[in-house]
Amino acid sequence: MLNANKADDLSLVNRLKKGDASAFEEILLKHEDRIYNVCRYMLGNEDDADDAAQDTFIKAYRNLSDFRPDSSLYTWLYRIAVNTCLDYKKRPFFAAIFKATREDDEVVRELPSNEPSPERLYESKQTGHALRAGLKQLSEKFRAILILKEIEELSYEEIADVLDISIGTVKSRISRARKELKQQMKKIMEQK
Amino acid sequence: MRCKKAKVLISPYIDGELSEGERESFESHMKDCGNCRAEFEETRNVHNLFTGAERFGANYGFTTRVLANLETKTRRKELLVPLFTRFVGVVAVLMIIGIGIVSGRFIGRSFSFQKPGNIATFFPLDTFNATPPDSVGGVYLAMTEAGNEK
Repeated sequence: MLNANKADDLSLVNRLKKGDASAFEEILLKHEDRIYNVCRYMLGNEDDADDAAQDTFIKAYRNLSDFRPDSSLYTWLYRIAVNTCLDYKKRPFFAAIFKATREDDEVVRELPSNEPSPERLYESKQTGHALRAGLKQLSEKFRAILILKEIEELSYEEIADVLDISIGTVKSRISRARKELKQQMKKIMEQK
Repeated sequence: MRCKKAKVLISPYIDGELSEGERESFESHMKDCGNCRAEFEETRNVHNLFTGAERFGANYGFTTRVLANLETKTRRKELLVPLFTRFVGVVAVLMIIGIGIVSGRFIGRSFSFQKPGNIATFFPLDTFNATPPDSVGGVYLAMTEAGNEK
């Protein structure tokens, strides 16, 4: 699905390189949601996610010459977004305090059923909170790979491109990340 | 397929990343091995937790904000070079002033080795001629000396 848009993205990049500023606006409109979503899951709060997503696009604009035409625009943007989020995590203590506001606001799972019973809704909310808390406990590299796989539904090849690692590393890291998440969630559920 | 190999393939199987042959071997092993099947079920449960996970969209006006910030931040970046030049200039001036102060103090200190009472010996009055012959005072004195009144 995403590969079908590769040619369009490439055409947008070429237009932008030739000085067509409206191409950048089109890139923004096309990719803003997925980049914001990754930042939101990586950072856990709305304000930081908004800032990180904005920084991602600004960095992309300034470093357009680094974009390789054989790569996909969205994997390149994901890479910038993940690195930007990692930088946000390393921010100085006071900067983090002043910026962080509503920590981890409602990353809640939606129910597959249209009319959930109150019990199921409660259970789902509990699981959603445990999932959110579990993700937060993971190391940055485990969190990033699970978000790219489970939330963004990227293939192993795309994840390897985004994180600049081999497909073998993607396989083993996803397995370890799932095991780690399972253990973290078990701990969290036991505490409740 | 051995258990060790099967366990490595659990996540790629769930993610649909196995080849046809690998998938068949994996499924065949899962039918026969309870331990591997239990681990597979646990991993699949973790994967299923994300099913229906909320997707967040960018906030209203995101594109407009990025375009506005792009202009501001780019302008700020352009300003950084003159600012740096200005900074270097200010540092150079401060360094010159600092060197002046330090060297001034050093010179002052070298004079302060002389005690106040000894200044007269350091600059003896005998060497001081208030009316050198070529000066106006010297000429006047010469004129007013005896015999030269006219």
